[in-house]
Parts: sequence; structure tokens; C-alpha cells
Amino acid sequence: MNTDHCITLKDVSVGYHGHQILTDINFSLKTGGFTVMFGPNGCGKTTLFKTILGIISPIHGTITYGDSHYPRFGYVPQRQILDEIYPFTAEEVVFMGTFGQVKPFCPTTKENRDWVEQCLEDVGMLDLKKRLFSELSGGQKQRILIARALATKPEILLLDEPITGVDIIAQRKIMELISLLHKKHELTIVMVTHEIHSIPKWIDKLIWINDNKVQIGNSLEILAPLLAEEASFQGTLWH
Amino acid sequence: MEQLLEILSPHFLLKNSLYAGLIVGFVCPQVGIFFVLRRMVLLGIALPQVSNAGITFAFLLHTIGLHFLPHMESEKFMALTGSVFFTLVAIFILAILERRRKGFNENRIGFTYSIAGAASILFVSWNPYGQTEVLSLLKGEIVSVPDIYLWLMLAIYGTIFICLVGFHRSFVVVSYDADMATTIGKKVIFWDVLLYLIIGVVISFGVMTVGPLVIFGFLLIPAITARMITRGILPFCIISSIIGVVSAFLGFYLSYRYDLPTGPTDVVLLSAILLLSFLGKMALSWKK
Repeated sequence: MNTDHCITLKDVSVGYHGHQILTDINFSLKTGGFTVMFGPNGCGKTTLFKTILGIISPIHGTITYGDSHYPRFGYVPQRQILDEIYPFTAEEVVFMGTFGQVKPFCPTTKENRDWVEQCLEDVGMLDLKKRLFSELSGGQKQRILIARALATKPEILLLDEPITGVDIIAQRKIMELISLLHKKHELTIVMVTHEIHSIPKWIDKLIWINDNKVQIGNSLEILAPLLAEEASFQGTLWH
Repeated sequence: MEQLLEILSPHFLLKNSLYAGLIVGFVCPQVGIFFVLRRMVLLGIALPQVSNAGITFAFLLHTIGLHFLPHMESEKFMALTGSVFFTLVAIFILAILERRRKGFNENRIGFTYSIAGAASILFVSWNPYGQTEVLSLLKGEIVSVPDIYLWLMLAIYGTIFICLVGFHRSFVVVSYDADMATTIGKKVIFWDVLLYLIIGVVISFGVMTVGPLVIFGFLLIPAITARMITRGILPFCIISSIIGVVSAFLGFYLSYRYDLPTGPTDVVLLSAILLLSFLGKMALSWKK
């Protein structure tokens, strides 16, 4: 990407079927930056996230992308939405990331196979590539979905609640992996979470969504009062 | 053995029926895997019934004199048109209602099945001349398949199979994760519409040729069986079609050998394979 900002939202309102959930959203995301969208369940984080991805159209306002073309997104959805009836192996799930670049009727190339192996290796899941996706643990599934997103050769990696519903050790490993990918591949990362403790201190931008309002700042400005408040309410605020 | 050699002979009188069954057994499971994976099994029951209602309605129109082609040609083509029209209208209405989340899917499909079944019977009962032919279709007696029908079937099902294989990646990713598919540039609505069109054509043409019971059986049972015994999407697709073809051939042989109606024999055989696979899987898991 040539420009400093890879995504810019101007006077954007988001919602479903004309019903606005969040209004007057204005911010830009820096190329190569790490942004976290944070807020309680049901506040509209995922709706805003899907609007940025182009899955939902904004009700008002405009979203512009860095080079004015739709960037290549690496999208990591909430793993719970994926139906386990599909008999995919871990490797087959990662292959889906390459489907945007492969033409119909063309067989899978060796180059794509090698690339998928590389992505599996990057997330530490190469040994489990022949296991059924449905048989993996929550943390392992999340790694496979990150590998699938990497297989798209993304300019921007977007992760929707990547650590929700996994144990504390898996949470730490996933966050370490995301941080490593950010540094190693210099990827622009946007992560959605409602887990206040999962937010790294060194992130570039924090977008706090609460009570239909969007507040933008750095992690210290926004999180310090929230953490203090949470401590006084014995950790009940965000769960 | 004698009958088996007779069936395999190129001069076998009912060879077209055997070939039609094999084509259905090979292609229908490839469509059926999307019914199973998208959890649309109930739709797989209702749509053949809707198609059947279309056929009976067309026969009724033909009998009362509403036909535009010479008598013999017009009858079958009107039936095919009725089948395709009813099925496509039903599948698109159901798809739109599902997308707009109006009411419960099971209720809509249950209603569709009931009304289509009732309409089929009423159309037949109002038709004083076509009852025998329609009833044999309902029972799945794949006896007389004219040459032109076999070639048409081969062309249509062959094209559909090529589409399913060539566009496999798009159909799979759109079915599994529509949001992700959007982010990699897939037009979800386009692929959904194409898949529904394929489903509609396979069902309507198949019901016209071999009847609703056989189509339902070959759409769903091979895919359900293969889902149980395979790991990975490619083995799942291949095994589904193998089960379909083997059942179609054995079903035809048994029906010829013991003078049974072919359609129900095929479906019973498919069900037996499903049951044996389930028991085999259970036995293996106990051993472990």
C-alpha cells in the first residue's frame, strides 16, 4: 500500500435493515498499525467490523481504502459460527484462503500447496494438517483460521473475537502469535474483542464502543479508567 | 449370473433405464452433498414433491387440451416445463424467505411438502387419462426411457456435473463461510442462485425421468452415508458418487432378477448401505 492510511471512515453510520446501531463514526487506520475494537457484547463491534470488510453496506457515510481499491483482507471470523457438519481437514480449511486467487476449473498448483504449508507452519499447525477441523481444540481451530486468513496473502488482517471461549494458556499463545505476525509480516491488524485483559499495551489505536458511542484513542487513555473501575467492581463490568 | 450378463449386453432391452439410473446415481449425490452440508435435507424431501406437482399439473393441462406442440411430443415437454417451473419458483421463494428470516424454515418446508403432495394427488384425480402414467412415475418405475430422453439427461446432468466440479471451490466456500467468501471477492448471491438453479434442474429433470422417491433417495442417502465414513471434502464427494452408482447398478440388477420396482429397490439398497456403514463405524469405535 502506498498511502499512510489503509482505511478511512467518514461520517459512517452502521446497522442492519436501515436500523442504525452506531452513527457519526470518523477514523482512519494507519498502514502497518495494530488497532483494537473493544466494547461489551452486543455493542455493535462486529457490525462495524463487517461494514469495514464490505460484508454489510454502511447506512450513511463513506469508507475509502488506501489505494482506492478494495484491499486484500485476511478475515478471521468467530469460530463458533462455522458449522462442524463440514468434513474439512485443517489443511482444506487453510486452502480456502487461496480460493480468491485460483480460477475455476484449474487444479491446485504446487505453488499454492507450498504456500498453504508455509501458512500452517507459521501458526504452528503443520503436524495437525490432516486432522478434521471439527476435532481440533478451540485454540487449534483459531490458529487454523488465522492460517486461512494468512493464505489470502492479506494486506490487512481482521480478527473477530479471536480469543473468546478458549482457555487462558491458549489465549496467551494466540495473542503471541498475532503479535508475532504483526511484527514479522508488518501486517496491518484490526482485532475485535470484549476481553479487556487481552489488549496489548503497545497497540497503536483503541476504538472503544459503548452505549452507541465510538471513542478513539490510545490504550492508556481509554483502558486506565476502565481497569480502575473494573477493579473497584471486582471484575464484573465486562462479563 | 445369467441376468447379470444380460443386463450388461449392449442389446439389452431396458439398457436406457439402467443408464438413466447410473447417471442419476452418479450426479445426484454431488448435488446432495450441498443439501447435507447446508442442512437443507428437508428441502430435499419437499422439492421433489413440488416438482411432481408441476408434472401432474402439466399432464392435467395437456389432457384438457392446452398443448402447443403435436400431441406426443407436447406431453413430455409440457411435463418437463411444469416440473422445472414449479421447482424453480418454490426453491427461490423458499430461499428468499430464508434470507429474510421470515418465520421458521422447518415450518415453510413442511407446508411446501404438504401442499405439493396434496396438489399432486388432486391434479391426478382430476385427470381421467393420465393416472396410470403419473402413478407409475410416483412409484419410481424406471422402465421406459426413450433414447432422446437419455441423451438429454446425459447432456443436462453432464453439464451440471462439470459445473459442480469446476466451480467446486466457490460453492464450498460460499456455503461454509459466506462472510469470508465476500472478503476474497466471491459474489455470494450469484453462487447461491447458481447452486439453487442446479438443484432445481437436477430435481425437476430427475423427477420427470425416475420419479420423486428415487431422486430423494439419491440426493440425500449417499451424501449422508459418505459424511459418516469419510474425512475430508474430496473423499466425501467421491465416495458419495461411488455409493450412488453402485446402488443404482445393484438396485437395477435386483429389481430385474426378482421382478421388483426399480426405484424402491434402489432406495432400500441405499438405506441398507447407510445402516451397514453406521454399524461398521460403531463397531470400529467400540474396538478402539
